[in-house]
Amino acid sequence: MKVGLFLGCNMPALRPDVEKGIRLSLETLNVEVVDLVGVACCPAYGTFWSADEDAALAVCAWNYSIAESLGVDMIVQCGSCYSTLRVGRHKLLNGKLKEINERFLSKVGRKFEGKVTTKHITDFLYNDIGVDKIKESLKFSMDGLTAVVQVPCHTIRPSGILGFDDPENPQVLKELTRALGAKVPTFTRDKQCCGGAGGFARHNRKAAMEFLKLKLDSMKEEVDPDCIVVSCITCLMWMDEAQEEMRKQRMINYKIPVFDYNQLLAICQGHDPSKVSRIAATSRDEVIKKILENKL
Amino acid sequence: MIYLKERDPSLLKTLVELGGEDLLKCYQCGTCVADCPTGFAEENLSPKRLIHMVKLGLSELLIDDESPWMCVTCTACEERCPRDAKPFEIILAIRRWQCLEDETYIPQVLSEIYERGHTQNVINPLREELDLPPIKTVIANEEMLKKFRELLRETDVVKKHGYIFGIRE
Repeated sequence: MKVGLFLGCNMPALRPDVEKGIRLSLETLNVEVVDLVGVACCPAYGTFWSADEDAALAVCAWNYSIAESLGVDMIVQCGSCYSTLRVGRHKLLNGKLKEINERFLSKVGRKFEGKVTTKHITDFLYNDIGVDKIKESLKFSMDGLTAVVQVPCHTIRPSGILGFDDPENPQVLKELTRALGAKVPTFTRDKQCCGGAGGFARHNRKAAMEFLKLKLDSMKEEVDPDCIVVSCITCLMWMDEAQEEMRKQRMINYKIPVFDYNQLLAICQGHDPSKVSRIAATSRDEVIKKILENKL
Repeated sequence: MIYLKERDPSLLKTLVELGGEDLLKCYQCGTCVADCPTGFAEENLSPKRLIHMVKLGLSELLIDDESPWMCVTCTACEERCPRDAKPFEIILAIRRWQCLEDETYIPQVLSEIYERGHTQNVINPLREELDLPPIKTVIANEEMLKKFRELLRETDVVKKHGYIFGIRE
C-alpha cells in the first residue's frame, strides 16, 4: 500500500517526533510513505479561508494536484488539515474545479482532476489496515493501562462532507486504542471537543482553559485514566501544554499524559520512545515504562 | 437600541455573495450558541446574533465585532443546525467581509504562507536527531516555491494587498 503523507505545518514545526512515530509505525505495517514534494499549508481555516475563499481553494487544489501527479491519496494526522482538505475538495468537485484550474493552477502549469482524496490517519489505520494487522505488528502491549481518547472534532464534522465514523458516537479511535491492549472506558464528557483549535485560545485563553478543565476533571474523577490518546496535532499540543499551564496556575493538581495514537502504536511495535515520543510538557515516562514491561 | 436609519441594505447581499448563502434559513433557535465551546467566555461567539445583525444590516456594529475570529472551527454548529443554515460558513463569510471592509482584519499569517508555504518554519533542527528525512514540502523546493508564489499572486487578496506580502508594484 502506498500513501502520500501530508505533514501540515504544526507537526513538522513543533512536534517532529509525531512524524517519526507515524513514519515508523506505517513502515512496520508495510505501508510505503511517499513524500508530497512541494505541498504547502492545507490552508488552515484561519488563513486564506478567512480572507478569500477562492485563494483557499487555489492552495487546496495546488496540494491535491501534487498528490494526483504522484498517484496517491493523502493521509493526514492534523484535524484542521483533514477538514480543510476534505471541505475544499468537496467545494472543488461541486462546482469550483474548472474555475480554480483556469484562474490559478493553469498559470503555473498544474491541474487537479479530482482523482485523489484525503484520509485521516485513523480512518486509514482502521479501515484500510485493520485492527488485526495492527495487533499482529505489536511487540509490547498497553495491557493493564486505562486510556481515554480525544476524537478530533475536525474528523467527524461536518459529517455530510467528511468523516468515517458516527459523528455523535465515534468509535474508531477507541477501537484502535483497544487494539493496543488498553481499556478505553466512557465518561460523561467523552465527546467534548478540546477547545484548542481556531481562535478561541488566542482570543480568550482563560475561557479555553476552563472549557478544557471541564473535560479533564470529568475524566479524572470518573475513570482516572493513565493517559489521553489523540490523533490531531492541535488536540495533542493543547491538551498537553495547557494542562501544564493550568497546573502552574493551580487550576488543576493532577497530570494526565497525552500521546498521539501513532506514538503509542510505534512504542508498542518496539520503536525507540526517545525518537517517537520525545516532546511533552506532561511527562509520559510512567506510561512508557509500563508498556515496556508488557512484552508480548 | 437599534436605529433603523443606520441599516445597510447591501450587507445581506454581500454576505450571501461571500459564502453565507444559507443565512436566510436561520430561524434564530440558538442551537448554534448552545453547542459552541466559546460559551465559556464572558463575551462568547454567537452565530445566531451575528446572523441577526446581518439580516438587520448593522454594518457598523458588525465591523467592530471580533467574535467571528474566536471560532474554534469545530463545526458543531454546522452539524446540528436544524435549518442547515451553515453557521460556520457564515462565520467565515463575515470574516471575509471584515477583511474587505477593513484590511487590518487580514490575518498576518497569510504573508508567512506566501513567504515559505507554511504558517511557520517547518524545518525543525530536531529532524536530524530523530533520523527523519529532509523536509520536501514547498519550503525546501525553490522551483516549487516560486510557482506557488506565482499562483498566489493571481488571487484577489494578494493582488489587492500586495504590500502585505512584500510585493512592490
